[in-house]
Amino acid sequence: MHTIQLAPIDWAIIGLYFVAIIGIGLYLRRFTTTGEDFFLAGRRNSSWVAGLAFLSANLGALEILGWTGGTMKYGMLVSQFYWIGAIPAMLFLGLYMMPFYYSSKIHSVPGYLLLRFDERSRLLNAFSFAIMTLLMSGINLYLMALVFNVLLGWGWNVSMWVSAAAIACYITLGGLMSAIFTEIVQFFLIWAGLFLVSVLGVMEMGGVEQVFAGLPPAMASLWSTTGESSQNAMGVTWPGIVMGLGFVLSFGYWTTDFLVVQRAFSSKDLRSARLTPITASFFKMALPFIVVVAGLVAYKLAARGDGSFVMPADPMDASKTWYDAALPLLIVRYYPEGLVGLGITALLAGFMAGQAGNVSAFNTVFTYDIYRAVIKKDATDAHLLRVGRVMTIVGILLSIGTAYLAMQFNAIMDYIQAIFSWVNAPLFATMLLGMFWKRTTSTAAFYGLIAGMIASFSIFLGFKLKAISPELAHTLTFADNPSDMTRNLWQAIWAWGVCFVVTVALTLVTKPKTDAELVGLVKGLTPDTDDSQVAWYGRPAVWAAASFAVLVALNVYFW
Amino acid sequence: MEPTTPKSAEPMPIWFFVGVILLTYGVLVVVAGLMGSARPTVLSETRPALWWGAILTVAGVLFTAIGWAGRPKD
Repeated sequence: MHTIQLAPIDWAIIGLYFVAIIGIGLYLRRFTTTGEDFFLAGRRNSSWVAGLAFLSANLGALEILGWTGGTMKYGMLVSQFYWIGAIPAMLFLGLYMMPFYYSSKIHSVPGYLLLRFDERSRLLNAFSFAIMTLLMSGINLYLMALVFNVLLGWGWNVSMWVSAAAIACYITLGGLMSAIFTEIVQFFLIWAGLFLVSVLGVMEMGGVEQVFAGLPPAMASLWSTTGESSQNAMGVTWPGIVMGLGFVLSFGYWTTDFLVVQRAFSSKDLRSARLTPITASFFKMALPFIVVVAGLVAYKLAARGDGSFVMPADPMDASKTWYDAALPLLIVRYYPEGLVGLGITALLAGFMAGQAGNVSAFNTVFTYDIYRAVIKKDATDAHLLRVGRVMTIVGILLSIGTAYLAMQFNAIMDYIQAIFSWVNAPLFATMLLGMFWKRTTSTAAFYGLIAGMIASFSIFLGFKLKAISPELAHTLTFADNPSDMTRNLWQAIWAWGVCFVVTVALTLVTKPKTDAELVGLVKGLTPDTDDSQVAWYGRPAVWAAASFAVLVALNVYFW
Repeated sequence: MEPTTPKSAEPMPIWFFVGVILLTYGVLVVVAGLMGSARPTVLSETRPALWWGAILTVAGVLFTAIGWAGRPKD
């Protein structure tokens, strides 16, 4: 495919973005003088600020490009990653888990594991999270360089080093507050730069009804084709969606991944922290109006076969179609000069904010849960602040190293991207038992976590090395020819199940902590949150109910 | 010696920065729309740069005003 030619006005818009984010970092430097300022943004944010940052930390350009292309393959089912695959977990976090997280005044999710269980679980999670975060950050950097190399002809080294230098600059200066500010800027840039693609796509199709007209049932529905795995392109049945995506994967990610939960910790009070994921849920549900609508428009344009919209070959495997190019191709189709610069800036901001989110979570976990826990237990606040700044630079350099590694050995990306279900799915079982069953013991939690991680990794490796027989594959996934997506969903379910069962079993034969040690950390030993003094429109439960009602309505409408 | 700031010091609300960025981009996109595009695009007759740039400009003014109204008081 031909590279996109940018006009001077497009370059000016892209350049202004860099000026803006570095300027914001310089401005915030003066407000970042303590560890709490740097790692938790001074715990001063409203639920609006923390909520949009909570959402944006997850809203990378890779996700937008990937799911727009994914819609061309799987149709409306992709919406489930934004709806049932996110909203129930976000509401559960806000209503039920946040009181334990926020009230214990911890700096990180591993910090909760230390208080609730012991040092072993904390370190296991801190190391696995730190490694996962850096590897994901490196993959993100590599794929950004790939996208801009193929689409714009930008050199690999220039893309990676310039964006990494800008991120290092503003995170080192302003810490989490810088990351949060740029994530919110990114949120608005994504709507400003990409929503117009959907609007113009609908206009070209002749209206919203025409976008859906003539689509096969598997492309235009959420649930009606999930009775049999052969009826939808994702090759998945509704139990896999409900249990794998709606429960294990989404709860594992949204309630335990420190990358997103850290944004809620920056809230000014408990009510704001509880409202953070609930506020974010409304904006999360709106994203398919960019991603899925654009993907369906791309599907219909490509299906015309008139040569005006041709999907290119995958730059990493020429035998496959490069679906990630769908959104950039729509930008080229509809956007004149000026708007092209805005669209590219939105993608660039999405990539960079994703990077910044990873780095700001990494520097916090490394500083508090590895450095202070293992290397220097008596470190002062000023010392930890310096370590956090240094680790920001180190984290960026390690990400760049991972990016170059991925460039040399593309196959390692499959392993890295599977890490989520190795780490997060079993952790959710540990957290659930730890927060809601006071009997759960520290030893059981540690070995349950390890068993869950091993189970997840073994299933992944078994499929990867083709060591799993068709009969066993059917037993594990309830599908005859499970797609990668189906395998991932069931791999997470098994990891969660193994961790849950092992933790319960070991709990019954090991000694629990006393009630006095668990006050504020476990349901039943923590005072329930009381919103009776708050006006009805300020209550988290009211907004959670409204969010859930919207979710139900969307599912019924697009059934 | 690290510069110190009292704990009570507050930065400008994020909405101010969002507003300035949207306003700047809105004006630039409107200007690009007025100059016209050398590259042919589908639906170019609807002048998307003009009306989308105008929407961004209005949104930018609103957010800048909201952010300015919420600026920290001395």
